[in-house]
Parts: sequence; structure tokens; C-alpha cells
Amino acid sequence: MGFLRRNSLTLCFLLLMAGALVGQALAGLADRNERQRAEGADAISLGEYVTSASYAVDVAENWQSEYLQFFLLIFLTVWLVQRGSPESKEPRRAGAESDEEQRVGRHAAADSPEWARAGGLRGLVFSRSLGLVMGAFFVLSWTAQSVAGWAAHNSDRLARYEDDLSWGEYLASPDMWNRTFQNWQSEFLAVASMVVLSIYLRQRGSPESKPVGAPHGATDVEG
Amino acid sequence: MPDTARGHAVSALLTVAAVAAACSVRDAGAAEAATALFAAVQRGDGRAACAALSPKAVSSVETGGSRCPERILTLGLRGGPIHDVRVWGDRARLRAGEDTVFLVRLSGLGWKVAAAGCRPRPGRPYDCDVEA
Repeated sequence: MGFLRRNSLTLCFLLLMAGALVGQALAGLADRNERQRAEGADAISLGEYVTSASYAVDVAENWQSEYLQFFLLIFLTVWLVQRGSPESKEPRRAGAESDEEQRVGRHAAADSPEWARAGGLRGLVFSRSLGLVMGAFFVLSWTAQSVAGWAAHNSDRLARYEDDLSWGEYLASPDMWNRTFQNWQSEFLAVASMVVLSIYLRQRGSPESKPVGAPHGATDVEG
Repeated sequence: MPDTARGHAVSALLTVAAVAAACSVRDAGAAEAATALFAAVQRGDGRAACAALSPKAVSSVETGGSRCPERILTLGLRGGPIHDVRVWGDRARLRAGEDTVFLVRLSGLGWKVAAAGCRPRPGRPYDCDVEA
């Protein structure tokens, strides 16, 4: 099987992301240049726009919410369950589970990752690495949103003949939290929808769904 | 210090110096536009004063059929030493003596004064004699 076929899911989403970023840049530039013309100025270039704080904050505010969504889904599904959902495990397995069930330490198989066999700090970190990295990406992109949003918001304030804010003041500002919450609510709705709809609905051939003939009450079954 | 580490340290210092220089050049452009406005008003050169304004600010000055070069000289703009320059993207705010000035960087035009003769109002935008 060729490289493209083996990695088609990742490659497809990376291409979609690149296309969407270009689309966002072109649409944002057109919007910005409408305002430039209203000011009696020439249009700005694509390069100027994609290096501006307003483009950066629009990108970062969406990234942080996506990473938060996956961070929470990964960590909360350790303990919280939804009977009948392929996104959940069986209620009796709630929690971090035993070393035997997780195939770590002396229960590791020959083909298990080295850090799963290692135990100690390495084993502890590797056992939570997916959630930790998603959480770290969330913190980094949320911080980037706060810095880029601070710069963009201060530019808007000066345009309204108001004084600029310190970063601390911006962190407590309505703009910071409006941008944050409007992204969070949509991510939480999407996860809740996926968890619940996948109890009763099917997508033949997709591992995100239960097999078409699986009973509605079957949990932790992927097609 | 090994050569590689020294090289990195020099690169970092050069980067910091370049960023600082870029910021000061950027600030200087806004300060120059404000200085040009007040200097022109002081010597009674209304045409040069209006050239320092953004197109929208020029329109706002031209009220009731009066022309910008005449009207700008009647607004009592005094200015003073430039200090406390803040630049955020294509917007800037600076103090010129007791006066507060807001500027906009327009593509093809450079820094232009968007508002001048501004006084702070608690909890509200500045009140400006010239305002785009």
C-alpha cells in the first residue's frame, strides 16, 4: 500500500486545513480592503494581511477551541461514559483501568511501545501523552489568541479614539471572553451531538460509528 | 563560550536589535506625521497641515463649505514635545505636549493624523477638535 493511501486521512485533513486557511486569508483580506477603501487608502497586500494581528487572532481562537475539545474528550472519557455510544467505553470500565488491561509495565506485549514497558516517570508520561500534548497545544494556542487578540483589540481601540489596554486588562476584557466562549460553545455542542447521535444513527464503514446492525445499547463498539 | 553558542547569542542580539529598530522606525513615522501637522499650523501653512491629515479627517474639517487649509488654522491646535507613542498595527496614539493625537497608517499614504486636539473623557472615547 502506498504512502498516500496509508496516510490518506491525515493528508486529506491537512489539505482541507490549508485550503480553508487560504480561503480565510482571501475573504479576510477582501473585508479588510473594503474598510481601507472607506478610509480613502490603497488596498493592502495578502502578505500584509496574513501577518496582521487580526488574521492571527481569528486563526488562533479557532485552534484553541479545537484542541480544548479533544483534550476534554480524551480526559473526560476516562471517567465519564455514555451508554450506547461508540465514543464511550462500558460503564464498568470507567477510570484509568488496570496495567493488564492497558498492557503496560510487565503486561506490555512484544510490539508495545518502549515507553509503555518502561514504567516509572516515562511510563506515567507516555500513558497520558495524548491528552497532555492536546492540552499543551490548547494552552499555547489560547495564549497566542490572547496576544494576537490584545494587539488587534488595541488597534481597534485606537481607531475609536480610546486608550490601549495592558495584556492583563485585555485578559479580563469582554473581547477576549466573547471570542473564547463563542468558539467553546460550538465545540461542546459538536461533541455532545456526536456522542448522543452515534447511539442511534450509523455510518456504514466508518470507525466513528457502530456497525449498522449493532444494537442501540451496545457501548464501545466501533464499525 | 563555544562558537555555535556565541553565534546563536549574536543572532539573538541582532534579531532583538532589528525588532527594536523596526519598532522605533515605525514609531518615528507616526511621530513625524504629528510633528508635521503642528509645525505647519504654527507657521500658518494650512495646506501642509491638511496634507498631514487622513482623507477622512480632511473631510471632517471641511464643514459648512469651509476649506481645510483655512479651517485647520482656526482650531487652536498647539501640540508640543512628542512622547508616549503607542503603535498597534496600523493605528497609533501619541501625546504632543498636552494634546493627544491618533494616527492611521494608510497603504500608499503612510502615517496620517486621524484625530488631533483630543481630550480624555472618563469611560468614553477622547473628545477631539479634528476627528475623522
